[in-house]
Amino acid sequence: MNSEITKTIDDINQEKYKYGFVTDIVSESPKKGLDENTIKFISNKKNEPDWMLEWRLNAYRKWLKMKKPIWSNLNIPNIDYQDIYYYSAPKGFEEKPKDLSEVDPKLIETYNKLGIPLAEQKVLAGVAVDAVFDSVSVATTYKGELEKLGIIFCSISEAIKTHPELIKKYLGSVIPTGDHSFSALNSAVFTDGSFVYIPENVKCPIELSTYFRINAEDTGQFERTLIIADKGSYVSYLEGCTAPQRDSNQLHAANVELIALDDAEIKYSTIQNWYPGDEEGKGGIYNFVTKRGLCKGKNSKISWTQVETGSAITWKYPSCILKGDDSIGEFYSVAITNNYQQADTGTKMTHIGKNTKSKIISKGISLGKSQNTYRGNVSFLRKADKSRNYTQCDSLLVGNNCGAHTIPYIESKNSSALVEHEASTSKINEEQLYYCRQRGLSHEEAVSLIVNGFCKQVLQELPMEFAVEAQKLVSISLEGSVG
Amino acid sequence: MFLDIKNLSVSVEGNQILHNFNLQINIGEVHAIMGPNGSGKSTLANVLAGKEDYEIHSGQIIFKNQNLFDLNIEERAKQGLFLAFQYPVEIPGVNITPFLHSSINSKLKSNNKDEIDNIEFAKLLRLKAKDLGIDKDMLKRSVNTGFSGGEKKRYEILQMSVLDPELAILDETDSGLDIDALKIVTEGVNKLKNQNNSFLIITHYQKLLDYISPNFVHVMMNGSIIKSGDKSVAADIEKNGFKIFQ
Amino acid sequence: MYIDKEYLENYKNLLFSDFEEVREERDNVLKKFVPIYFDKKNNESIKNVDNNKLANLNYNYKKPADVDSAIKNSNNSYTIKLFNGKCDNYKDENLEIKNIDSNDSKFFFNNKLANTSDFLIDLNSLFLNCGVKIIVNKNKNIDIKILNIVLEDGLTIFQKNLIICEEGSKVNLVEEYNNQNSSIHNIYNVFEVKKKSVLNQFVIQNNSKNHELYLSSYASCMKSSEYDQKVYNFSNGYVRNYHYSELVEENSTVSHIGFFFINSDNISDNKTYVRHLAANCQSNQIYKGVLTDKSKANYFSNTYVDKIAQKTEGYQLSKGILLSKDSTYFSKPELRIFADDVKCSHGSTIGPVDENAIFYLRSRGISKNTAIKMIISSFINDDLENISNEQIKSIVTKNLNEFLDNIV
Repeated sequence: MNSEITKTIDDINQEKYKYGFVTDIVSESPKKGLDENTIKFISNKKNEPDWMLEWRLNAYRKWLKMKKPIWSNLNIPNIDYQDIYYYSAPKGFEEKPKDLSEVDPKLIETYNKLGIPLAEQKVLAGVAVDAVFDSVSVATTYKGELEKLGIIFCSISEAIKTHPELIKKYLGSVIPTGDHSFSALNSAVFTDGSFVYIPENVKCPIELSTYFRINAEDTGQFERTLIIADKGSYVSYLEGCTAPQRDSNQLHAANVELIALDDAEIKYSTIQNWYPGDEEGKGGIYNFVTKRGLCKGKNSKISWTQVETGSAITWKYPSCILKGDDSIGEFYSVAITNNYQQADTGTKMTHIGKNTKSKIISKGISLGKSQNTYRGNVSFLRKADKSRNYTQCDSLLVGNNCGAHTIPYIESKNSSALVEHEASTSKINEEQLYYCRQRGLSHEEAVSLIVNGFCKQVLQELPMEFAVEAQKLVSISLEGSVG
Repeated sequence: MFLDIKNLSVSVEGNQILHNFNLQINIGEVHAIMGPNGSGKSTLANVLAGKEDYEIHSGQIIFKNQNLFDLNIEERAKQGLFLAFQYPVEIPGVNITPFLHSSINSKLKSNNKDEIDNIEFAKLLRLKAKDLGIDKDMLKRSVNTGFSGGEKKRYEILQMSVLDPELAILDETDSGLDIDALKIVTEGVNKLKNQNNSFLIITHYQKLLDYISPNFVHVMMNGSIIKSGDKSVAADIEKNGFKIFQ
Repeated sequence: MYIDKEYLENYKNLLFSDFEEVREERDNVLKKFVPIYFDKKNNESIKNVDNNKLANLNYNYKKPADVDSAIKNSNNSYTIKLFNGKCDNYKDENLEIKNIDSNDSKFFFNNKLANTSDFLIDLNSLFLNCGVKIIVNKNKNIDIKILNIVLEDGLTIFQKNLIICEEGSKVNLVEEYNNQNSSIHNIYNVFEVKKKSVLNQFVIQNNSKNHELYLSSYASCMKSSEYDQKVYNFSNGYVRNYHYSELVEENSTVSHIGFFFINSDNISDNKTYVRHLAANCQSNQIYKGVLTDKSKANYFSNTYVDKIAQKTEGYQLSKGILLSKDSTYFSKPELRIFADDVKCSHGSTIGPVDENAIFYLRSRGISKNTAIKMIISSFINDDLENISNEQIKSIVTKNLNEFLDNIV
């Protein structure tokens, strides 16, 4: 350990000592705020090699020089980066609710509506449970099976130690550390996340999910995920959970990088249901995620599917760089905003290789006093011969105090490429409501049914077990705003 | 009295459509209303179903001893009122089977009966569909989406036979049907007809009445009934057109 | 920056230089020109504009010598020749045409777009040196043709016209831009389309290579009015068409329709922006372009629907045909909706000439070149057939054919 770091940790301990915290937990948390020492603390805490620390510091130095992103269609309160803890170890049993009776009853009500089993409810609500329960043993079984196929699926902290060659080669190769302010911040201070490597010609037999990863709890607010699909391989990855997650961190800035080599396919599905704030718009998570996939190899495919119903503010554009000839990028999205939520989400499809194809299906539903924006960028570079894009983005307004916005950027520099874009905005169809109600459905049920129908093109892209829950989630998200 | 419409006057967007309209239907009866375009037939159907675009000026409707105007659209449906639409709306992405399943369950629930489960419902639906000559592949599609005119009408009758209403209103269900489809639809109606339900059949042509035998035929012009009688009234219209009533 | 120096040096020669309140307003405009204003990522008004060049322009305006503005043709048909943005005054029972002079300082403030960040409109306010006011009287039905003539090389013309269609009037307005000299022509047209009036506007642009035209317009549409704008750009020189409109009162309709045909290394910048501020209004924004060689085009369209603008119908369409591998087309069709009972949509396609259509025509014995030309013509034909003015039809057809003849 180099002396500077030792010194830092001493300083921090000293600092805490002043306030009289002299237990083991003290050394687990650095002070609030961000400087080089914070980063050294995190890196040291995780026993990272020197090259990783350098990589983080490099990102941090870039971040210092960067301007804040311009918030085109979002109203974001100023974020004080010095008022945030950048590292917190998993909470001890004593800090957690003892059982579900100590958890917000509204949360439990939602879990019940979603039909989530009791054991899972406890995990989601952060209830202290014994490490051994059914799903963990299930996870262990899966892990053995994956190892046999040569699939690496572990936390990124572990991968930094056990697979440094893959990390050095790919980390930051799709989202450069200096890409924008949040990607730099994440690169500097990321705490954990998933790492997946699928070897050549291996089709991953199960849907991978953090849920199946041991130690998946509390990955923190600066999550980092890296997925590499080697030649001819296939993987489907599920992120998140349909149930609202209990989290006290307000700022989330995750980075997700996907790399697909020749003939490989990655399917990435997300259900985001972070705490959106209350009916008055107080509280809630700011979710600033950078997700980008690189179709590096020929004939590779990356497909993003997202259902976004949570967070006070969502700022997220899962993108595809279609570099390999014949590669395919897809984006399927449902974004529902209610009360005072703001969402600015969409995708970026950059066609570089020949005969590349992309498809965008986006469904936005605005309710309450929310603002919902689709922002997309489709571009064909000079050499993207015979490439194609099809975009369809539809918005639905429920009520007269919300906004729906569509802001697509479309550019073509290739005369053999074809881009087609369609968009529509309308209110929920009165005739459809009348028809459903004539058949005995209540107004609320009818709205839920029609909205689910409106989203079907996207929901059907989700893996089976997710799709059913997602439908229920859509219905729950509409509650309270249908009068 | 099962259904009693008294002195009903209704307008839409400032135009008065129904003028002091009166009609009584007893349980077990089949009534047919015939009239030229614009006579107010569809308005009557929509007012009975509770569509919200209409302004009721005067009159009342008593259905099963309740004031119908106290009930909203879905409450009327749960009370056993069914409207087979003239132009059934397409609802993309909403699958027929779960749609109808929630529909029947909402009715069962409001009548304090046990809800029907997935499997049992699927059986029931397939059985009813078979009766009406509806291919089971059609049951996988979205509500009315991409259906031909005939398919839409057949699907309305399918819903009617599943929901088993006490008062069924058929709004020009025969229009746009070829003779084979008309037979299937009318057979569906005849199978359903019994002593405990009533039908109000709105039609422009007499053809439908060759297959469904009404107890009463009413002629509607300019928003009110100008003549009532038995089946012979329909034959008159077939022969001479509506102009003899003008 | 050179603009302020140029502005101060030439201040005395600008229109309304004697008015203190105008001076204040102009100084405010100048204050907007801070570096962030010129960030092309955030300011759509300068996407392809060479703003350095404009910021360093050499101000040069000359009043024309006595010219013949030849106004009245017949009972209800007028031709107005504007030389360097000026003409003779004229008045009859149908209309009044007034050359703007220093006594009419109110005219300067007739700018609903003062608070937008359109650099070219701001430049227009800053250097405004000429313009006319045309008022069409109540319930009159007339045809007006305006020829915008720039008299010599090296001029910088900052012209603003105010066209008022009084209640119940019906105006067919044709504007022609056919200038062959190397000047900078910045025009800002303000239209007031009053209650129950109808304004049909055709703009035909056919300038030569070194002539730069920056045409901006703003229309406010009152109750039950109709404003229909059609822009045809066949210029070999740079043209920026930025057209804004507001549906201020109920039951009004507006359409912004444009066609551009560009070649060599030319650039065509286009924007239409409709703000729905009242209920029951309709809007269309439709631009179609054909690009060859190394040409480049942009089309920004935007429909804004205010919370009170229920029952809005807004439609946007953008179509680009790229005929050359070196051409570039950018479009950004935007919807900003704050009312729920609306029907708004947009469609956008960019691509080559439809291969299947070419194949079909060739299988009927038509040569490839002719086939391509036929397909491109069909692009504009639907629209042409709806034009009742034969003269316009023949000008557009002639220009289109010239463009097509130059494509190999």
